[in-house]
Amino acid sequence: MSSIYLSRLFRLLILLFFQVLVFNHIHLLGYITPLVMGYMIVCFRRNASRISILIWGFITGLLFDIFSNTAGMASASCTLIAMVQPLILNMLSPRDAADDFKPSYLTLGFWNYTFYTFLLMLILHGTFYLLDAFTLADWLLTCTAILGSSVLTTILIIFIELLVHSRQKKKHHA
Amino acid sequence: MRALIDLIIQKKHWFVFILLEVISLVFLFSHNGYQKSVYFTTANDVVGATYNVISGITSYLHLKEENQALEAKNEQLRKKLLDMQRLMAQDSVKRMPALPLKYELVPAQVVNMTLHKANNLITINKGEADGIRPEMGVVCSQGVVGIVYMTSRHYSIVIPLLNTNSKVSCRLRNSEYFGSLIWERGYANIAYITSIPRHAPVKVNEIVETNGYSDVFPAGLPIGQVVRLGDSSDGMSYMLKVRLFTNFATLREVTVITNYTSAERHMLEEVAQNPEKADSTMLKQLGQATEKPQTDEKPQTTEKKQTAEAPKTTAPQTTEKPQTTEKPQTTEKPQTTEKPDTIR
Repeated sequence: MSSIYLSRLFRLLILLFFQVLVFNHIHLLGYITPLVMGYMIVCFRRNASRISILIWGFITGLLFDIFSNTAGMASASCTLIAMVQPLILNMLSPRDAADDFKPSYLTLGFWNYTFYTFLLMLILHGTFYLLDAFTLADWLLTCTAILGSSVLTTILIIFIELLVHSRQKKKHHA
Repeated sequence: MRALIDLIIQKKHWFVFILLEVISLVFLFSHNGYQKSVYFTTANDVVGATYNVISGITSYLHLKEENQALEAKNEQLRKKLLDMQRLMAQDSVKRMPALPLKYELVPAQVVNMTLHKANNLITINKGEADGIRPEMGVVCSQGVVGIVYMTSRHYSIVIPLLNTNSKVSCRLRNSEYFGSLIWERGYANIAYITSIPRHAPVKVNEIVETNGYSDVFPAGLPIGQVVRLGDSSDGMSYMLKVRLFTNFATLREVTVITNYTSAERHMLEEVAQNPEKADSTMLKQLGQATEKPQTDEKPQTTEKKQTAEAPKTTAPQTTEKPQTTEKPQTTEKPQTTEKPDTIR
């Protein structure tokens, strides 16, 4: 039990490190910034305690907020995707999957996993950028930012997923 | 009850979710000025619109009282207006407070004026048709303005105090020492008094007024206030810096004193100064005038006399005084008034 928490904490810190030092400085077209922190919620297993997902999501968002000076924005959006993550995962999970399978491109299939990640990222960035702009005056700009960063973050998360699994495979082979 | 508790336990993640979202939004609105301001503005728009609707409804409830109050106010204002109209009908002339009632005054408006030349002139919209003649005094409600220089049928040109040729005899209100007021090119509210003797007890802030020696202004009309004591170039007398009461920059309404100028006195003084040039007709007229002494209460007779004698009195003035500037001296004759000063 504690090993799960430790590994989550470790993952959180790694993600936070890269988010703050690398991804926060990416401003594609001036306003597309990927929130790779969302990966934290993406990789929760099916049937994990919903409260624990919510709390982890909130903490993730809060830490991001503290470091990037966006009080409340990321914590609100991360809590929101933590709320909907189990629903989307249930919707997309294959029938023969285990009760507590871990979502990845291996268990879900590549396109399903991509769609699952993209949906979550769309909600995350949608909430984040709408709270950031807090107006619908520049809705075109906000939409571009939401879509662009969702796509970019999805690509990055799949890339991370591939990296992690290749490492795990190597470890497994060794 | 049990069912409710079950429901709460079952849906507890919803409560956690709402709690966490509320915490996030509290952070958001309390730490981000922009979101905060947008939130409050939106809130205020909503509240404002609501109150607008509410007040639109409730205002009907108070219409009767409102109406009564307005009616009363209306009545009060109407009464005031009537009083005002009656007062204005009684006294349409804007009198200077210091002017005694016996003088006949012609109100006029300034239609043209310069302030920044060395020899400024004012044009007013009343002329011979209104009984205005050269050398009449012009005042406004604040103080002395100047002296009429030329007249046409409906317009007159006034030489204001702000003219380097202007010279008005004046006195200090407290000590009654007199001098003459001159102006030097520059400030439109500063003039100087020369030939106040050195032994006169002059104080700053003393009021300067006209001294009735001239036949232009009656005595006691305010001119200005002493702001600085200085010495004249020869060191024999004071040169007082005076701030004029009349604000020439905003001057609009003026009053011409039409029945003060005394042609008889004018002529007498002229004859006394140049006895060899005074011809028999002038002396004859003078005799007639002394037989029939004019009074201020009968302005009609005065005016008739003035119209008859005006061309004669103004004509010799220009020829007989070569020592003054080319222009006919506009003020009262300063020579006569200043002589006693120099003797002193």
